[in-house]
This record gives sequence, structure tokens and C-alpha cells, in this order.
Amino acid sequence: MKSKNSHNFGQTIKIDRKKDFVKELKRNRGLYLMCLPALIVLIMFCYIPFTGTWMAFTDFNVVDGIFGSPFVGLDNFKYFFSTSSMGWKVTYNTLFINFCGIILGLIIPISIAVFFNEIQSKVFKKLTQSFMFFPYFLSWVVVGAIIYGFFSSDVGVINNLLRSFGLEPIKWYAEPKYWKGIIIFASMWKWSGYSSIIYMAAMASFDGALYEAAEVDGANKLQRILFLTLPMLKPTAVVLTLMSVGRIFYGDFGMIYGIVGNNPVLSDAVTVIDTYVYQTMRTLGFSYATAIGLFQSLMGLILVTIANRSAKKYNDGEGLF
Amino acid sequence: MRRSKLFSDRLVILIAYTFLGLFGIMCLYPLILTLSVSLSAEKEIVKSGYSVIPQDFTFNTYLYIFVNSGKRILRSYGVTIFITMVGTLGAMLVTSMIAFALSIKTLRYRNFIAFICNFTIVFSAGLIPWYVVCVNYYGLKNNILALILPSIFSVWNMFLMRTYFSSISPSLYEAAKIDGASYLRIYWRIAIPLSKTAILTVGLMYALQYWNDWWYALIFINNKELFPLQYYLYTILSNVNAISSGRIPSGAAAGITLPAETVKMAVTIITIGPVIFLYPIVQKYFVQGIMTGAVKE
Repeated sequence: MKSKNSHNFGQTIKIDRKKDFVKELKRNRGLYLMCLPALIVLIMFCYIPFTGTWMAFTDFNVVDGIFGSPFVGLDNFKYFFSTSSMGWKVTYNTLFINFCGIILGLIIPISIAVFFNEIQSKVFKKLTQSFMFFPYFLSWVVVGAIIYGFFSSDVGVINNLLRSFGLEPIKWYAEPKYWKGIIIFASMWKWSGYSSIIYMAAMASFDGALYEAAEVDGANKLQRILFLTLPMLKPTAVVLTLMSVGRIFYGDFGMIYGIVGNNPVLSDAVTVIDTYVYQTMRTLGFSYATAIGLFQSLMGLILVTIANRSAKKYNDGEGLF
Repeated sequence: MRRSKLFSDRLVILIAYTFLGLFGIMCLYPLILTLSVSLSAEKEIVKSGYSVIPQDFTFNTYLYIFVNSGKRILRSYGVTIFITMVGTLGAMLVTSMIAFALSIKTLRYRNFIAFICNFTIVFSAGLIPWYVVCVNYYGLKNNILALILPSIFSVWNMFLMRTYFSSISPSLYEAAKIDGASYLRIYWRIAIPLSKTAILTVGLMYALQYWNDWWYALIFINNKELFPLQYYLYTILSNVNAISSGRIPSGAAAGITLPAETVKMAVTIITIGPVIFLYPIVQKYFVQGIMTGAVKE
């Protein structure tokens, strides 16, 4: 009797919920319709492609289609980490370039923001800030052209400089060992101005009274930077860093291809997971490339989850998303 | 004591000016270099290399480009302007509508919808399934829509806009609702006009993204008629890269005429073109928008 009662009770709740659902949709019809175009875009370009990840477990051929091709289990993943493939190398390249980018992305923008805070001249501030922000507006192809201007063997600025010091010019575009550094530097060059603005925004909300109190107590500028500004910037820095850590398995396709293109001499040094997927799609087939992409997404998911957890711990329950 | 303190303060200020000055120059120098090479005579550049001061100042390179490949460039310019305008307008509409809807606190399923959006940032199917779906189901190969549709909605920009919309007092909406206005009307007549900074900032971000994009063209477009400007520049430069790596034997390279140094830089300047002119006007609003957005988050 009792159980039947509660069963009935559960059913009415269900019906109520269904009614509620329809009622809510009707009541806020306008608002839900306004969400619709964006949701359709997401479904088309983010959710429907999920069905295609099945290719990672098959030996895909066009005739049999995605679901008709022979099932091969984890073979594609195994091959990625076998010695004959570039799996470890591209994973290392991706992590190394991103890790250095994160470190430089902390030091340089924070220095810029802190130094801007210390200087008086408004004209100087405005001028340098607009210079620093400009690279953000350039595409990676344009950055690639600029880098060519510096490193071209015959006419490049760097080789000219070397020649004028009587040194041997270097054939940059045939020497892989320099290019990780060049790419990390280029990324720093493009993003620093933009990131420094975010730190300056955080600074704008600092309490001026704290600085006055410190000055009265006899703290000099260096002490104020070290014991006031930097500690107060820490939360922003932690959140931004965790965000980039969450994306550490994702290389910047545009950056690598814009700067190096598909130059095979340099590819050993600078191929990241994203560019590798693009290259293997054309040489080693769709299934293998899909498997690499899926591996990347899974690693990304794990790291984002960890980063989000840490952010919550650090920020009293407020995560990144 | 007092003197040493003053000294250390001065040192900090000195370091600040030096660091910022040098970094500023480092950001500006490459652009001036590019501009000045494009205005130099080719002969001088080949002889003495790139230099920040135009050597043997001339507009010949630009004239040469417009006489020889003017049609190409104008066509690519047209493609880029088209996708930038249509894409930005479409993206603003799509993004601001959902951002507005999700900013209304009485919308019951808004957390669920926000989750659908968020999940796409955290997890994706990867390039290949996405590519297969786009080409086989949506027919985006060699289709100009391929340069517009896939990037028409950015979840990040949506959340940025939502924070702005959320800061509008709900009592304004209540008053309008009592007067019988629908949400669509409230969105168009109240929310949008009150969020000019957000509209401008996010609009600029989309416009910049469309203007600077060449990746979608690399993946989807083979037809030269549909090359956007950036991709046109990319094809010029990637030929140069391949040859200067020494991979192509000199015999084979002899058949390919490399674009001259000045031409490469002139095309680069043409590609940046409108950005240079708009930058001084736009920069201020952009900084403002990012700063207020960042503080509210």
C-alpha cells in the first residue's frame, strides 16, 4: 500500500514536470527561440561531429563509410605511441612550446602591467601601450612574413647584423634547432600587450589607500611592488595560468603554419599535435588522424577538469567555467 | 637613509621606462621595417638587405602589384570584406540573442543551455570528424559559407556579453513588460542600446577574427576565386619558405619565380591595410571593453 502510494506520487510529479516543461517553454517562448540559432550552430559543428569519432576505432575507407568500416579496436592509438610514429615527439613539442609560452606569458605581461603602474608620463604610457597592443591585431600569416624579414638568409635583418659584425650568416630556414625558440618568442610578442591589459584591469580595482598607507610607513617603490602589487595580482595570474594549463595539449595551428608553413626541414622541431593531425589526414588516413585528435581531446578534458578543481579550491568554490 | 630610498625609487622608475620603451619599440620596429621595405627599390634591398629607412624611396612596388596581380588582390579583398561584414553581423546577432536570453534570471533552463555551450569548450570531437561532417553533410568544400558559418558563434564572446547584459537592472525590463513589450522588443530596444561597449568590443573581436582568418581557407578552399586576403598572402609566403629551406633542388626552383622581397612586404602591408587605419580609433574602445569585461568577471 505504502509503496503503491509513493509510486503514484512519483508519477504525478513526472506528469507535473512534463507539464511544467511545456508551460515553461510556452511562457518564455521568445527567449528560447533567441537561443535557437546559437544552439543549432553548436549542434552542427560541435555535437554532430562526435559521431565521427567512431572512425578512431576503425580502419576507415570511403566505400564502407564511418560505421561500415572494419573495427580495429585500439590499434590506431597503439601506433601513435609506437616507436615508428611521431607520437611522442609531437606530444613533447606541443607541451614544451606551451609550457614555455605559459611561463613567458606570466613574466612579461605582469612586468609590463607593474611597470605601467609605476610611471607618470601619460603620453609615454599611451604611446607604448598602443605599440604593444598592435601585434594582437595581426594574423599569424602577417607575423610569418615579418619573421621572414628577420630570418631570411640573404636579406634578413639578423644575418645582416651578423655580417656587419664579421660573423658567418646562418641559413635559418634550414636549421630546425632555432625554431622552437623563435615560435615561443613570436607568441610572446603577439600576446603580451593583450594579456597585460587584463592584469591592468585587475590593478584598476586595487585600493589606493593601501598604497598610501604603505608610503606613510616608509615602504619604497620596490617594496610596494613586491609586497602589495604582486600579491594582489596573484589571483588573476592563477586563474589565467590554470586556463592555459587546461589547454596545454592544444597547439596553435595558425601560429605554427603561419610561421613555418609546411617546411619539412623544420617540421621535426615544430610539429605539434594539431598540425600533425592535419598532415596525417592526408598521408596516413582519416582513422589514424581521428585517433590522435581523440587522444588530444581526452587529455585536454582531464587537464581542464584538474585545472577547474584547483581553481575552485583556490577561489573558494568559483571555478573557471 | 632618505637618499638611498629615493635612489632605489628612481632606479625602479628608470627600469620601468627602459623596459616599456624597449618592449614598445620591439613591437613597432617590425612593422616599420615591413613598411619601409615595401617602399624601397628592389635592387637596393637585394644589395644591402632589409632596413628601417626606405632605400631609394619609391611606390613602384605597389604600382607593379596592381598592374600585374591587381585583379587577384582586389578579388581576395572582396572575399575578405564580404566574409568580415556578413560574418560579423551574423555572429553579433546569434551571440547577443543567446547572451541576452541567458542573462534573464527567470529563464528556468538557462543553466542547462549554458552547460551545452560550456561543454563544447571543454571537449571536442577533433579536426577530422568535424571536417568529414562539414564536407560530406554540409557541402562546405569550396563554399564561401565555410569561411563564415563554423566561426559564427564563440562561446567565450557569448559569456563576455552575458556579463554585460546581467549588469542591466531587471527593473527596467519589468517596466517594459508591464507596458506589454515582448522579450524580443526588450532585447532590441533596451538591452542592445544599453550595452554599446560590449557590442563594440565583441563586434571588433569577431571582425578581427574574420579578417585575420586563413585556416578555414587552407582546409576548405581550393578555388582561387574564393581565396581570402590572408590566405593569398600565405600561398605567396609558403612558396618562398619551401625554396629557401633548400629542399627543392635549384634546378626545379629555377622554374618558379620567387616574388621579389619588396613585393612580399607590400602584399603584407596591403593585407594589414585597414587594420592600420582603424587601429588608432578602435584601440581605445577595445582596451576599455576588455578592462570592464575582465573586472566584471
